[in-house]
Amino acid sequence: MKVIDAKNRDLKTTNGLVKKVLDGQPIAIRNARHLHGLVAGLNKGELIVRGSAGDYLGALNSGAKITVTRNAGKYTADNMTSGEVIIEGNAGYGVGQYCYGGVVVVKGDAGDFTATMNKGATIIIGGDVGSDAGTYMLKGDLVVLGNAGRNFANYLIRGTIYIRGQWDSLGHNTRVEPLTDEDITKLHPYIEHYSMDAKPEEFKKIVAASEKPFYN
Amino acid sequence: MAVIGAFCVSVNREACINASMPGKCATCAEVCPHGVYALDVETGMMHIVNYNACVGCRICSEFCPADAIRINPAESEYLSRYPWTLSAIEEVHYKAQTGEYLLRGFGTVGPTPNFDMITVVPSQISSAAPLDKYREECEMEVVIGEETCEKPLHLQVPFVWAAMSFGALSKEAKMALAIGAAQSGIATNTGEGGLIPEEAWLAHGYADKEQKRKKWDPGGFLIIQWSTGRWGVSVDYLNSGDAVEVKIGQGAKPGMGGHLLGSKVTEDVSRVRGVPVGSDALSPCRYYDVQSLDDMKHMVAFLRDVTNYQVPILFKLGPSRPYADVAACIEAGADAISIDGLVGGTGCSPDIVTQGVGIPTIACLPPAVQALKDYGVHRKVKLVALGGIRNGLDAYKALAMGADIVGFGSAAEVAMGCRVCYACQKGNCPYGITSHRPEMRARLDPIVVGQRLANFIHACAEEVKILTMLSGHSRIKDLSTEDLRAMDLNTAALTGLKLAGYDRALPFWEGLFGQTNGNGHQTTP
Repeated sequence: MKVIDAKNRDLKTTNGLVKKVLDGQPIAIRNARHLHGLVAGLNKGELIVRGSAGDYLGALNSGAKITVTRNAGKYTADNMTSGEVIIEGNAGYGVGQYCYGGVVVVKGDAGDFTATMNKGATIIIGGDVGSDAGTYMLKGDLVVLGNAGRNFANYLIRGTIYIRGQWDSLGHNTRVEPLTDEDITKLHPYIEHYSMDAKPEEFKKIVAASEKPFYN
Repeated sequence: MAVIGAFCVSVNREACINASMPGKCATCAEVCPHGVYALDVETGMMHIVNYNACVGCRICSEFCPADAIRINPAESEYLSRYPWTLSAIEEVHYKAQTGEYLLRGFGTVGPTPNFDMITVVPSQISSAAPLDKYREECEMEVVIGEETCEKPLHLQVPFVWAAMSFGALSKEAKMALAIGAAQSGIATNTGEGGLIPEEAWLAHGYADKEQKRKKWDPGGFLIIQWSTGRWGVSVDYLNSGDAVEVKIGQGAKPGMGGHLLGSKVTEDVSRVRGVPVGSDALSPCRYYDVQSLDDMKHMVAFLRDVTNYQVPILFKLGPSRPYADVAACIEAGADAISIDGLVGGTGCSPDIVTQGVGIPTIACLPPAVQALKDYGVHRKVKLVALGGIRNGLDAYKALAMGADIVGFGSAAEVAMGCRVCYACQKGNCPYGITSHRPEMRARLDPIVVGQRLANFIHACAEEVKILTMLSGHSRIKDLSTEDLRAMDLNTAALTGLKLAGYDRALPFWEGLFGQTNGNGHQTTP
C-alpha cells in the first residue's frame, strides 16, 4: 500500500499526488483533516483516509472506493455518480447530496440534509440522521438504521426511504407504506455487505405521496 | 398576466381563403398553440373563439397564405383604463377562478430604467482624435483566466450567450446557439439543464463528435454551468467545456431557483438531466452544499481540482447587492463574474418575481465595478453584463460602464426568431425555440438559425467597434464612464454617470466611487 502524508500539503498537491500514484494498489492518506475536496472526481482506485477527513470528501466521485477510518466533515460524496464512500465514524451535514449513483455508507450518525436531491445513489446511515434528510429526493434509496430528526423526507419526489427507528416529524408529500418482498430482497444485501446489525423486516418504508408535489 | 388580453386579433374575412372555398384552409387554427381560432365545420369559416388567449406571437399571420390576419396591441384599452387594463382585469379573474399565481416566460414587461437614457460622448478636438473604423484596428479580444488556469478563454469579441438550459430551450435552439458561437468566436453556455451531446463539438466548430471535421470557423467555446439543481452533472460534464460557471442567481428570478415543469421533461430532457420523464425538475433557490463563503471557496477549489486547473471558474449573480455580492465572488476565487440585471430572461418564473424583483442592469454595474476596483482586480477578474442588452449600442454602454464582456440572452432568442410573446413556460413556442413539441421544433433549423445568430453577433461587434473608435479608442478595455453621459436625472442618479449639460455626476455621487472629483474631472480610468 502506498501512503501519502497530507500534513502541510494543500489540496492541489495532495490530490495531484494521489492521481500520480494511482494504479491497482490501495493508497492510504493521513493527516488530511484540513483538506476540503480530498480525492474529488476520481474514476478508479481504492483510497483509505486514515483518521478524519474534511468537507466535500470524494465529491464528484465517479468510480473510486474511498474509506475514512474515523469521521468526515460536511457534504461527503457530494454529487457522486458512481463508486463507494464508506465512513467508519460519523459524518456531518449533507451526506450524499446531489448524487446520481454509487453507494455512501456512514456507520455512525449523519447530519442534517443528508441525501438531499439524491438522484440515484444508495445512502446508508448506520446511526441516526439529522433533520430534513431526503429533501427533494428524486431517485435512489436512503436507508437509516437509527432515528431521524424533523421534516424527514421533506418534499420527496421519487425514490424510497427506509428507516428502522423513529422520526421527529415527517415532511410534506410523504406516505408510509408497508414493506414488500421486493423491499426486503433489496435491503438484505445492504445490511449483509456492510455488516449492519439489523433485519430488513424491521424497517418502515416512506415514498412520495405525489410525483408532482409543487405548485403549478 | 402581462400579455393575455393585450392583443386584438382581426381576420379579414373577404381575404380569408375560406370566403371563396369554405373549409379549405385551417392554417391559423393549426399553427396557433393557444387555441385562438377554430374552423366552423358547418359553415367552413374560420372563427376567433378566444381573443384573450392570444399572446401576440403572430405565428398565425406569418403562416396565413392569404395575409388575412392582423394582430395589434390593445393600446387604446391600455391608455383608457390604466392601471385597470384588460390584462390586469384578466389577471384578477384568473386568480379568483383558480387560486393560482401566474407564471411567465421571457422576462420583464414595460418600462424599467435601462441604457436608453445614456448617450455616447464622441471624440472631438479637446480629446483624443476619433479613429478610422475602416483603416485602423480596434482590439476587441477579451481573455478570461489569464493567470489562473492552463487554458484561458479567448473571446474574439466581448460577447457571450447568456446561460439558457436545455429544457427551457429546445435541442435545436441549443444547437443553433452553439453554431452561432462557433462562427463568432464567442462562448455559449449549457445553462443548468445539463449538456446535450452535440453542444460540445458544435460550439468548437466541429460537425462531428470526434471533432475531426471542422465546419465553422473560428470555433467558439462552451461554458459549463454548475448550479443548485446539478442536472446532468458529473466529472465528465465539467470537463466537456472551456470554463465552469457557478450559478448563484439570475436576473429574472433572483432569490429563486429554477423549475422545469414535468410537462417539459421529455425523454430527451430526462436523459440529459438524469431525472425521470414527466418529473418536475426543481433547482433549489440555494446550494444545499454551501452554507458559508468558506464553503464556496472550498467548492471552487475542488472544481478547479477536478478540471485539472485547466479552465477558468466563472460566477453568475442575480441583481441583488452588487457590491457585496461581487466582493464575495472575488473572495471565492472567481475569474469572471456575470451580473444579470432586472430584465434578464427566463423560461419560466412567477410573474410577480420577474416583474418586480431585482435591480436594473444599469444600476448593478457601478457598484460591481467598484468592488472589483476596491479589490484591485478590475479588468483582471472579468465582469460580464447581462440583462436586457439588445444591440451593440447597449453593449458599448455596458462596456464603458466597466464591464469587460456583454451577454445576450433574450436578444439571442429574438435573433433566433422569437416574437416575444412571454409564453415560453407553456412549451408551445411556435418558432421551436422553447418548445419540445416535434412539429414546432421542426421549424427551427439549427444551421440556418446558427447563421442568424452569427450575423447578429457580427453586426453588434461592428456597432461596438464604430462607437469605440468614434470615442477615440483603439481598445475596448480603454472605454470608461467618461465616454458616456446620462440624459436624465433618474439615470444619472442610478448610475453615477455625468449628467449631460451639467457635465458632472450628481453631487451625492461625487467621490463616492472615485469616478469624479469636485471639478468633474475623472480620477480613475
